[in-house]
Amino acid sequence: MTPLQFEQLYAAEWNELEAELRYILEGKRGSKKRAEPVRGERVAALYRRACEQLALARARNYPRYLLDRLDRITSDAHQAIYQRREFGWSRVRRMFLFDFPRAVRAHAVYAWVSAGLFFVPMFLFGWLVYDRPDLILSVTSASEAAEYEAMYSDAADSIGRMRDANTDWAMFGFYIQNNISIAFQCFAAGIVFCVGSIFFLVYNGVAIGGVAGYLTERGYSETFYSFVVTHGAFELTGIVLAGAAGLRLGYALLAPGRQTRLQSLTQAARESMVIVYGVTVMLLIAAAIEAFWSSARWLPLTLKYSVAALCWIGVFAYLFFQGRRAD
Amino acid sequence: MLDSVIAAETPEGILLELRPAGLSARFCAFAIDMLIRFAILFAALIVASMLGGVGAAFGFIFYFLLDWFYPVAFELGRDGATPGKSAMGIKVVMDNGLPVTPAASMIRNLLRFADFMPFGYGAAITSMLLSRDGKRLGDLAASTIVVHQPRPAPKATLDMVKPLAPAISLSQRDQSALIALAARAPSLTAERLEELALMAAPAQGKAQGSPEEITRRVLGVSQWLLGRRS
Repeated sequence: MTPLQFEQLYAAEWNELEAELRYILEGKRGSKKRAEPVRGERVAALYRRACEQLALARARNYPRYLLDRLDRITSDAHQAIYQRREFGWSRVRRMFLFDFPRAVRAHAVYAWVSAGLFFVPMFLFGWLVYDRPDLILSVTSASEAAEYEAMYSDAADSIGRMRDANTDWAMFGFYIQNNISIAFQCFAAGIVFCVGSIFFLVYNGVAIGGVAGYLTERGYSETFYSFVVTHGAFELTGIVLAGAAGLRLGYALLAPGRQTRLQSLTQAARESMVIVYGVTVMLLIAAAIEAFWSSARWLPLTLKYSVAALCWIGVFAYLFFQGRRAD
Repeated sequence: MLDSVIAAETPEGILLELRPAGLSARFCAFAIDMLIRFAILFAALIVASMLGGVGAAFGFIFYFLLDWFYPVAFELGRDGATPGKSAMGIKVVMDNGLPVTPAASMIRNLLRFADFMPFGYGAAITSMLLSRDGKRLGDLAASTIVVHQPRPAPKATLDMVKPLAPAISLSQRDQSALIALAARAPSLTAERLEELALMAAPAQGKAQGSPEEITRRVLGVSQWLLGRRS
């Protein structure tokens, strides 16, 4: 059979399949509307025939334009037929009822190591700065230190604010941008054999510990701790878990086990992504609490501390126990 | 092998050809996206500055989303390509030729931060130059690949050339070489076309003749092989 005969024989099928595919792929974007629905069976049948014809055309060394056309048809059909849809509410629900807490428990070792890398430098440096306040200058500039002091002093009308951005909403936006970016950095940098995650965990631990130690020494402990303790349940845990996900990435490269390093890395990325999704939501909650609840000065301290205790218990109970029964 | 084509096998047993995009195409796409992002951010910040406190929140959140999720939104919504990528004719697909999944798109774009290190996308450039299929770290972890979108090849029929039966029996390889020559003919200079056609002179059977005539006869043979008889 000559190429032209081959083309004549099957062109009608190809045109039909191309029209269906154009409808499927563009209809997804809503640019084209058509009355009748996609005929799935017909598309699948035409796709299988096109695959056969492509194999034949390749074996017979048919001209490039024919192969290209069949290539394009089959690859478009392949994309349309094997599309995976991962969106949807049921999936989000399952994610937070089961997948996220389970993924955290499956990475418990990473989480504890990450917590150690974050909290140990935090307490050590906090204690050091409490002992010798001038050490704060090794992590912040003098003007920043003064700014922190002003934010938590008794004179400030709401707590934890920079002076030039003073509405709850603005701070809400700022916390989202800043905190989630830090979490993403803790995660992504881990791919460099864990080094990046370790760096960001220790660095953030030292910075937070330093400020805490400094403000405690200055005598602002009441305003400072009543401010941070509630959203800290979500924020500090979130950063630690993001670091844990990053450590998983790096460790997959360091010790791939019986897989190749590439296989090990892709598997680690897939599994740790679940944690990153969860962390993102935890930090959104933290940003809302920090902007609208923690900063409110008129709330009585006992109420703030009780809500904070509930938050910490809630977060840990969720991470330890949620979704266990279905395991 | 000079060719960088990667074959992804489908369950139907055919091989899909993926042509990985190289550093230059991806850099241009990145530069275009960068400009678009600056323009969007600039416009958003102007709007935000007019709205006070809520506007500032909007500005921060918008900046955050644009910074991390600009590529994700386009890769999932627009056939796997950001505006810069589609301008360069490249797109993101999974290793097996399927559309990029939400999780994979998230992974490859979060790891963009690691690709940026130590500065100026150093890790990404190193990784792309070292791997056969031009993958940066994010692509490796997400098992995605950036490929050229295929451009249709020109049709190989030359209506003004009279088909001519080949003078000798031609192997499959020779036949497809002659047909490919006809497909390329419109894009070649006359001199180069003659040069190539003279190599295939035995196929048309006439020993003597001007180069133009031989070329026409060789192209005639290619039309015969395609299946034209008149």
